[in-house]
Amino acid sequence: MASAKADRMGSHRLVRLPWLPPFLASDHPLPWLAPLVAMLVAFGLYPLLYSAWLSLHERNRFTRQNVFVGLQQWAEALGDDRMWHALWVTVVYTVVCLVIQLTLGLAIALLLDCERRGYGVMRALMTLPLVVPPAIAGMMFLLLEDGEFGVLTHALVGIGLLGRDQPILGTAGTALAGVMLADIWQWTPFMVLILLAGLRSLPREPFEAAAIDGASRLQAFRYIALPMLGRVIAVAVLIRGIDLFRIYDYIYVMTGGGPGTVTETLSWYAGRAFGVADFPYAATLSLITLIVLNILALTFIRVARVRF
Amino acid sequence: MRHQRVTGILRDICAWGVVLLFMFPLFWWVLASFKPYSAIFSTTPVFFDFEPTLDNYRVTLLGYSRVELAFERGGVGGTTGGSWSYYAVPSIIQSVVVAVGSTALAVTIASFAAYALARLRFNGQHHFVFWVLAQRMMPPIAVAIPLFFIFRDLGLRDTLLGLILAHTLINLPLAVLLLKSFFEDVPRELDEAALIDGASRFQCFRLVALPLVRTGIAATAVLCFIFSWTEFLISLQLTTSIRTIPVKISTFVTSTGTEWGFITALGSAALVPCFLFILAVQRHLVRGLTLGSLKD
Amino acid sequence: MSLREYDRKRYIAGLARAFAERRIDKRSFLRGLARAGVGMSAFAAGYLGGMRPFRGLFHLGTDLAAAEPGDEVKAWLKDVGRRFAGTTVRFTSEATPPTIVANQIAKEEFTALTGINVEIEIVPLEQVLQKATLDAQGQLGTYDLYYLDQSWIATFAPDTIDPREKYESQPELAMPGFDWDDFSKPLVDGISMYNGKMVGIPFDIPIFILMYRRDLYEKHGIEVPTTMEAYMAAVKAIHEAESGNGIYGTTGQLKSGHYSLECDWTCWLWSHGGSIFDKEGFFSGGDADGLTGLDYMLELVRYMPPAATTWTWDGEAQSVMQGIAGMLMSWGEFFPGFDGPDSKVQGLMEAAIPPREKKLRPPSEAGFGEIPHIGHQGGSALALSRYARNPDAAWIFMQWVTSKDVVARSSILGGGASPVRISAFEDPRVKEAAKVGPGTTRHFPAIRWTIENAMGSEPDMPAWAEIANNVIPVELGKLLAGQYASGKECMEAIRKQADELAAPFRKV
Repeated sequence: MASAKADRMGSHRLVRLPWLPPFLASDHPLPWLAPLVAMLVAFGLYPLLYSAWLSLHERNRFTRQNVFVGLQQWAEALGDDRMWHALWVTVVYTVVCLVIQLTLGLAIALLLDCERRGYGVMRALMTLPLVVPPAIAGMMFLLLEDGEFGVLTHALVGIGLLGRDQPILGTAGTALAGVMLADIWQWTPFMVLILLAGLRSLPREPFEAAAIDGASRLQAFRYIALPMLGRVIAVAVLIRGIDLFRIYDYIYVMTGGGPGTVTETLSWYAGRAFGVADFPYAATLSLITLIVLNILALTFIRVARVRF
Repeated sequence: MRHQRVTGILRDICAWGVVLLFMFPLFWWVLASFKPYSAIFSTTPVFFDFEPTLDNYRVTLLGYSRVELAFERGGVGGTTGGSWSYYAVPSIIQSVVVAVGSTALAVTIASFAAYALARLRFNGQHHFVFWVLAQRMMPPIAVAIPLFFIFRDLGLRDTLLGLILAHTLINLPLAVLLLKSFFEDVPRELDEAALIDGASRFQCFRLVALPLVRTGIAATAVLCFIFSWTEFLISLQLTTSIRTIPVKISTFVTSTGTEWGFITALGSAALVPCFLFILAVQRHLVRGLTLGSLKD
Repeated sequence: MSLREYDRKRYIAGLARAFAERRIDKRSFLRGLARAGVGMSAFAAGYLGGMRPFRGLFHLGTDLAAAEPGDEVKAWLKDVGRRFAGTTVRFTSEATPPTIVANQIAKEEFTALTGINVEIEIVPLEQVLQKATLDAQGQLGTYDLYYLDQSWIATFAPDTIDPREKYESQPELAMPGFDWDDFSKPLVDGISMYNGKMVGIPFDIPIFILMYRRDLYEKHGIEVPTTMEAYMAAVKAIHEAESGNGIYGTTGQLKSGHYSLECDWTCWLWSHGGSIFDKEGFFSGGDADGLTGLDYMLELVRYMPPAATTWTWDGEAQSVMQGIAGMLMSWGEFFPGFDGPDSKVQGLMEAAIPPREKKLRPPSEAGFGEIPHIGHQGGSALALSRYARNPDAAWIFMQWVTSKDVVARSSILGGGASPVRISAFEDPRVKEAAKVGPGTTRHFPAIRWTIENAMGSEPDMPAWAEIANNVIPVELGKLLAGQYASGKECMEAIRKQADELAAPFRKV
């Protein structure tokens, strides 16, 4: 066996290179991880520490200096109704989008998992929405949903689902849905791609066995495919969930947090604070986002039993 | 047989319906780049009933100035917004350089790390990977400002290298996670066999594992490329003279009105390089995106 | 395009116009074209052959007197500027017409004569604030000049050098014939002054004026309104008569959470005798006069397209250009666009001075230097940063870009953007352009009158940017979305936040 493998290696000489420092040739993970850790520590740790430092200060508007105030900013943030509202909006946004993107993504992946003619083209086309910068995708939907000039508005009014005087992004009840539409349009393909790949690498045997046993396709899917895809789905949910929670671009382009604060997510609220140079408060809000996200992610990892 | 054919056709119709539905916003956008404003902003939607114009592309891709265009259309003094050059080809080039650079760097660093995580399992690895993932959890705006300070001190502000490093940083968590699963898909036995034959760990990596995860690397590269190509906030904060495409488009929002024509034109033109890249690796992309060893 | 090219094309277009108007014969026309180096191009052929489907709305003068700075200025630039050759002046700005023009001609004229490079970073307005704030707070010196919106003047006052003082204290760098009095006093007070210090030189002056559809007025026998009641009546009349045709009485820029909503609100607040702050520095938008103004605005909203609550000034301008609005009080800056090739209402819009206010609160009764008046101004100033790396080179550029000649040319090259200097209004080239067509300046008389007689300015205090962007438009947005039971409740919500934010700056 071993020699067969060695033959397959061909002419590569499997010789320890003497000039390589011993630890690089060993099995110690450190040298492999060193560049990664270096990058993350250099550029990732500093923002975190800086934000933490800032959050313990307050900006004196007169002197424009940062004054140490201990945990006062935190107390203010936790007592800020607008912050809790933003958190709520963020959670709703994340959960709804995630559920829709996952189910829709799965459905579309199943639909496109086929070798018939044209399906390759369709799969390639489905990657297009991902290529658009999110800010542009936001502008696309801004145009489509404009209360006066938008095609989508026109269609919905025509069907009767929308009143003539209710611009999608200007009505409190529909504004968040309008923004979510852009997100769903852009990121369902992401889920589709990942799930498609997962589906296509499923082994054939269990399905054949199930077919012989008389199971319907739906049953086969539910009891065989779904559990096997579990790990794929878990990681996809994790990645997408993190990005959804930090959503900013669509809000920036489409609603500016409005009407009122109906679409104001935590990132957007923090962005407003940055915009008026209230850095300490903005840093506090960002850290709150980080903490909540950490808690949610950890809970999910535990529940879904994802092991790294 | 008949039944299968019918379901087959039904499936085709559904599939094409879904795909075309998703393509509609893009189609509308590209269409708008050929429309004069009166056709973009019309109370009743205008599909094909307009006089198409190439002006938007001529301005953004060929460097015509608005004044020249206005003269051609019928002679005019100034035009609203003046004769600012919306020439965007340098932006496209800069975006390509940054995207390719950061993708290459991210994939390289991540493959080393991912291989170690897949093969050289160590205590506390679970928490380490979580820490890597957690780098992605800060709101982008909170990262942009401190990065601005660091880069300024390092002299990297407004340089292509600086932007490449910043984008690499953003892409690393995703790249590590993805590549780790690809490496895990390669059977351990191959590595062990090579090791027994006297190879160093590094040679194992280079000669055994790496060639086998080629498709996975392609998939990761594509995703990294896309994220870098479309990144806006950090690119905006860290650059002055360098304008990647998303930032360039944001400059088309002027005080006298948003230049929708140019935005749609540049947005449409920007789709092309990215899409070509994806098409090239499309087969690998779908085949390779397995996020977990399903043969466990 | 270089200015030489520009002039050449203007010459050609002027010829074409003269020919179209039958002022010259075909032979002279062809000869003129040949002189300008045009062969039998499609352009020329088109005019000689058949009809070109164009409305003939040429906006043109005869020749643009040599588009070059005067000799005195040129000499000064060479003498004084050359000393700083090789340095680079940087600033960041919004894409406003003067900035765009400056960017265009800086290379050809300024850099060519002085050797000083100019780098202008053009970004959306919110980013300008952010970048400038970052720079000023950290004293980084990334930018030598700041483009400051008038609402940020108070925030940045400590970071800039008073230009007038510099002019007087450093005569060796002073531009001859700069003429400080050429900037009208209300303009300087409204844009640049804070606590007796001149923070910057006025750079642009978008201001609210009345703009209406002349054809609709004529059709329904409406006179240009001169009172607030007449204004509302006119809006109502147009709306009722034309809503069948898809035309609304008026339009607005009421996007929730955006500064534009605050601008619209102040227009009606100030014209009904209200003010944002009272003389003690407490929010007074919710007093009796304030509520009257708010009710007026809410009444107007009924006659606006429903999508107005999602538009900033951009969408508002589009709605006019697409012909669905009858009249409006908004930025005069957009007026030239209404005559542009993308507009459906070319030649149909007129500009007029705003109607007379119902009641006006004197500035002495308002707080923080607020000047209530119906003509809301959103001007900006160019300021010299205290932390500039090349302050003197930047100062030379600053004087050049706000000098008489550049300002006058910028308002034409910039497509009819209103100038900040009185002399520019009088410039013959500007007057020539007062015809229907893109880049028109026919709205300038209305703007000039409004600047001098009805200019309303927002309060000047460091927390104002936050209040005007994050508090007022967000709460007003909620009101428009129906989340408040009454205007009073909304004003009360604003009052609580605004008073707290303004607290450190009240003179006790």
